[in-house]
Amino acid sequence: MVDSYRPKDLKDALSIRAEYNPQPLAGGTDLMVRYQSWSGTLPLFTKSVMFVGHLKEMKYIKKEAKDKTVTLVIGGTATLTDVANNPDTPEVLKKAVLSIAAPALRNNATLTGNICNASPAGDSICALYALDAVIVIEKNGGSREVPIMEFITGPGRTVLGSDELVTAIKIPLKASSVNDFTKVGTRRANALSKLSFTGVADYKNGRIDSIALTFGAVGPTVVRSVELEKKLIGLSGSELKARIPKVIDDYSTVIVPIDDQRSTAVYRKKVALNLLEKYLKELSSHE
Amino acid sequence: MKEIKFILNGKEVSVEADPLKRLLDVLREDEKMTGVKEGCGEGECGACAVLKDGVLVNSCMIPLGAAEGSEIVTPEGIRETDKGKCIIDAFGDAGAVQCGFCTPGMMMATEALLTINNKPNESEIREALSGNLCRCTGYDLIVKGVQIASERGKDLW
Amino acid sequence: MGAKISIPVRRIDAKEKAGGWTKYIGDYQFKNLQHGRFLRSERARAKIIEIKKPDFPEGYYYIDASDIPSSGKNNIQMIKDDWRVFAVSDVKYIGETIAVILGPDKQKVLDLLNQIEVIYEDLVPAFTFDDALSCKGGAVYGDNNIFSEYLLNVGNVDNAFKDAVKIVEGKYETGFQEHLYMETQGLVGAWEDEKITIYASSQCPFYIRKSVAVTLGVPVGDIRVRQTTTGGAFGGKEHFPDVIATPLAVAVNKVKKPVAMIYDRIEDISFTSKRHPSKITIKTGLDKNNNIIAMDIDTLVNGGAYESSTTIVLQRAILHGIGVYNIPNARIRGRAVATNTFPSDAYRGFGAPQGLFAIEMHMSHVADELGLDSSDFRRKHFIKTNDITITNAKMHDEVKLPEMFAKIDEMSDYSSRVKKYTDDPVKGIGIAFVNHGGGFTGNGEQAIIKGVVKMKRLEGGKAGLYVSVVEMGQGLQTTMRKIAAKELGLDYEDIVYDNPDTDIVPDSGPTCASRSIMVVGFLVQECAKKLKAKWNEGVGVEAEDVYKHPDELIWEQETLQGDAYPSYGWGINVVEVEFDPVTYEVKTTGIWAVWDIGVAIDEIIMQGQSSGGVIQALGYASIEKCELKNGAFMQHTMADYTIPTSLDFPKVETCFIDNPYKYGPSGAKGAGELVFDAAPPAYAEAVQNAIGKRIYDIPVTPEMIMGALK
Repeated sequence: MVDSYRPKDLKDALSIRAEYNPQPLAGGTDLMVRYQSWSGTLPLFTKSVMFVGHLKEMKYIKKEAKDKTVTLVIGGTATLTDVANNPDTPEVLKKAVLSIAAPALRNNATLTGNICNASPAGDSICALYALDAVIVIEKNGGSREVPIMEFITGPGRTVLGSDELVTAIKIPLKASSVNDFTKVGTRRANALSKLSFTGVADYKNGRIDSIALTFGAVGPTVVRSVELEKKLIGLSGSELKARIPKVIDDYSTVIVPIDDQRSTAVYRKKVALNLLEKYLKELSSHE
Repeated sequence: MKEIKFILNGKEVSVEADPLKRLLDVLREDEKMTGVKEGCGEGECGACAVLKDGVLVNSCMIPLGAAEGSEIVTPEGIRETDKGKCIIDAFGDAGAVQCGFCTPGMMMATEALLTINNKPNESEIREALSGNLCRCTGYDLIVKGVQIASERGKDLW
Repeated sequence: MGAKISIPVRRIDAKEKAGGWTKYIGDYQFKNLQHGRFLRSERARAKIIEIKKPDFPEGYYYIDASDIPSSGKNNIQMIKDDWRVFAVSDVKYIGETIAVILGPDKQKVLDLLNQIEVIYEDLVPAFTFDDALSCKGGAVYGDNNIFSEYLLNVGNVDNAFKDAVKIVEGKYETGFQEHLYMETQGLVGAWEDEKITIYASSQCPFYIRKSVAVTLGVPVGDIRVRQTTTGGAFGGKEHFPDVIATPLAVAVNKVKKPVAMIYDRIEDISFTSKRHPSKITIKTGLDKNNNIIAMDIDTLVNGGAYESSTTIVLQRAILHGIGVYNIPNARIRGRAVATNTFPSDAYRGFGAPQGLFAIEMHMSHVADELGLDSSDFRRKHFIKTNDITITNAKMHDEVKLPEMFAKIDEMSDYSSRVKKYTDDPVKGIGIAFVNHGGGFTGNGEQAIIKGVVKMKRLEGGKAGLYVSVVEMGQGLQTTMRKIAAKELGLDYEDIVYDNPDTDIVPDSGPTCASRSIMVVGFLVQECAKKLKAKWNEGVGVEAEDVYKHPDELIWEQETLQGDAYPSYGWGINVVEVEFDPVTYEVKTTGIWAVWDIGVAIDEIIMQGQSSGGVIQALGYASIEKCELKNGAFMQHTMADYTIPTSLDFPKVETCFIDNPYKYGPSGAKGAGELVFDAAPPAYAEAVQNAIGKRIYDIPVTPEMIMGALK
């Protein structure tokens, strides 16, 4: 049996977090499964728990404009349903969120919870990597912002300090004309991922101006190679088309999945590369 | 142990329990709301579905402490309302009920769907029920039950 | 469908279930209830060297084989009694019961359980068919790991093969399947009126009574079993509850308090019986006109560590081994093997789906090899009334397959679509033809069961119906009432039919083998006629009917010769799919089903059986993967063992063809398992047509498709 806390507001939550270092619990949809015990007994949390899902200050989604860039800010307790229903949510994130579980779970789970859970198979994380999401972290007397790729350091591991809370996620709303999010699940709905893929890219003057390619459930964290993406910047559609086999080759070295109860390494790798190829073909025809 | 208050089927209740106790167990054991079923204990099957502040949730994934001050509605809170009766009758006429273990959860999912969309088409119904697993019916007659409820109950939602 | 009885009524249990009023085993309140949990083997095959236990506080108990009364025995009396109530000195599979830990507080029970340490000495386990046949690690059972072996033969197979101008061979495999009833296994044992009462989510209250009585060594009358409304079963609550009831009864006998053994989902998926995996090899000889003249089949099923009902499952697999075809020279060798996997047991279809998958895929492959249309080729070989079956008896049924094919062809546009999709890179359509024997094999209804039903006139113009078959979702509470009401001229709501209680109802046999309507329903119909004749004698007058095997049916059990089943249900499914060449995922775009179940007792209830059976079978064929790793199931949550959701498959378009059976109530035959049989091969054939590669195994996963396309 562990202690639990129910802060009255965010400030209170940050104080409790600093003092007792409890496990924050928003929707509970990941944690209650992870610590599940015999039905009818208490979940086996290993340390104290702080409920945060009720904190209204963080239940928002808003747009912020600053120096020509528009950012979508998703509050720390916004649910997946809130994210899916928001008209400003980028298409790939909306698709990713709607691919998670079913309505009842999405009504309760939060995007922040998904990120802090840091599962390599987290569908929303795959999309957020591609969208250059930034994690807003607060503690008593300070705050910082960390790009999601630096926030997540391994399966279930993040840089979140023991006195900190994630209070929002910022997504820069950039132009992107060719978007794809595909999840390959264990069934057609209400499924966990065997793998997922996100591609977002934009052309400027007939040349690729921005591109992000991410892969979920094929490594210890979501896979994104900024280095390989850079090689594609500036290409025209036809140049990209000619380069596709080389790009696939390059990615086959960074995608190193494993066998588990949901799928095989061979399948994951092959399908990840198939999805990449399909996306690049589509992209190359758009310029 | 802590005293935690919430609204259950329109009445305030106070439960003395560990805040980490699953809402599912609180409803079934402390409040004797056995219309809420446990099918999986991990948010996959929807048998424990209830409404929390008006939206459909799985009570197996919610610790009591997270429900403090919330309005919770179980099948017991729906079944004798006009909407509940409409859904139950429609399920009965459609042949939507077989072993029945998933059905109270299906009723809750139907209520949640029709509240948002009182004229759903077949794919919207299938999407809305996708978190409620059934092993008996293959879903066809449950989908039909929701369609009948939506037609008959058009003024209710 | 023309029969009056088929006109649907509202299910008697619909409202109470939908609104959550109905009580299942976990919903009852027992005073002073104790909670039990099993100490289970963590090894597939090992000697138990020592069990280190903590001190148990007062009110907490450790119950094991030493608590079985001296009059009883450490065996679970199922069809065989080799399965032990408690493992002693050695373990044979992961999850085997070693002891029950019980007490009033669940957390304390769990803490005690976690403090127990079992010291094992590992032995070499056998998991696969090859392991079993080579007796890896020494035989698990007998001296050769063969639980049972049969040889069926019709005609002269060896001679016929000599005349064959072409021979086609194939090997077909099917995997484990978890029942995944929505309500997990659950029983409560209570000490009431100085005797043990077991409240059980169960298909077969009398099976539990018998097994508990044998374990405790008491007369069956000393045990009372009360079925509680059962939230799905599908065979999983046929014999398996005995595995829980027997140690539970030993515990209740000792503590004299109510004890609950209610599984949670992880326990249920990890530690309950599954459908038998199978490996079937078929060799077919053809003459120059592309007629099958010989067929040689070798069937293996994996029974796991204990035999239980495995031999009967094997019988059904081979008795359905040549499907719906007339093969003049055919031979089937069937063997059930022992391994160190969790004992396999009953699951809807009971071996028939495995046999039928193999033969249907094989017929498709033979047609492909010959360059013939798969449906034409199969239809040319359809068995007809009075043709000779694999058990050297005449097919007594009126076989309406041609008429049924015409119907499904009209519904699904099968013939034109199959041509249209020949060169389509992603679409495919498949068909399968099946039959399913209703009731117990051979003369089992007479020799083993001898079912009895009773009825009584009650106050207020009502009639009581006393049978031991149970409602488990299939609609029996409604259909049995309809059958009785029709004869008595009453409304179906005026028939009183409670959940069976072994102290009240006669033994009409178990709820399995597609027998409830066909066999027990017929007894109910005949009993109702008797009661009607005596009705005017007043309130309290009773009638009884006892099963009598039709005189014209003969059976030799030892050799499995004669009329294997009293009658068959028949079915055809068509499945249409589209596959994604990028992800190898398959989307099902159409499902059609035509059934001959004699007469439907209720059209809507049967539609529910059709949709439910077909979708459960499509899960088996596609997404329900259950693999072993070192003897343990790798999938142990509902997230990893995936069953179909409402979005996985489209609506099943169903049609029934009337074909009344004279010994069925209003002409009804068995149906509950038939509806499972055809979809897996129809789906697999559709996928193979879509991808252009043959399919030999189910489940057909995207991983498998990727491999086939390499």
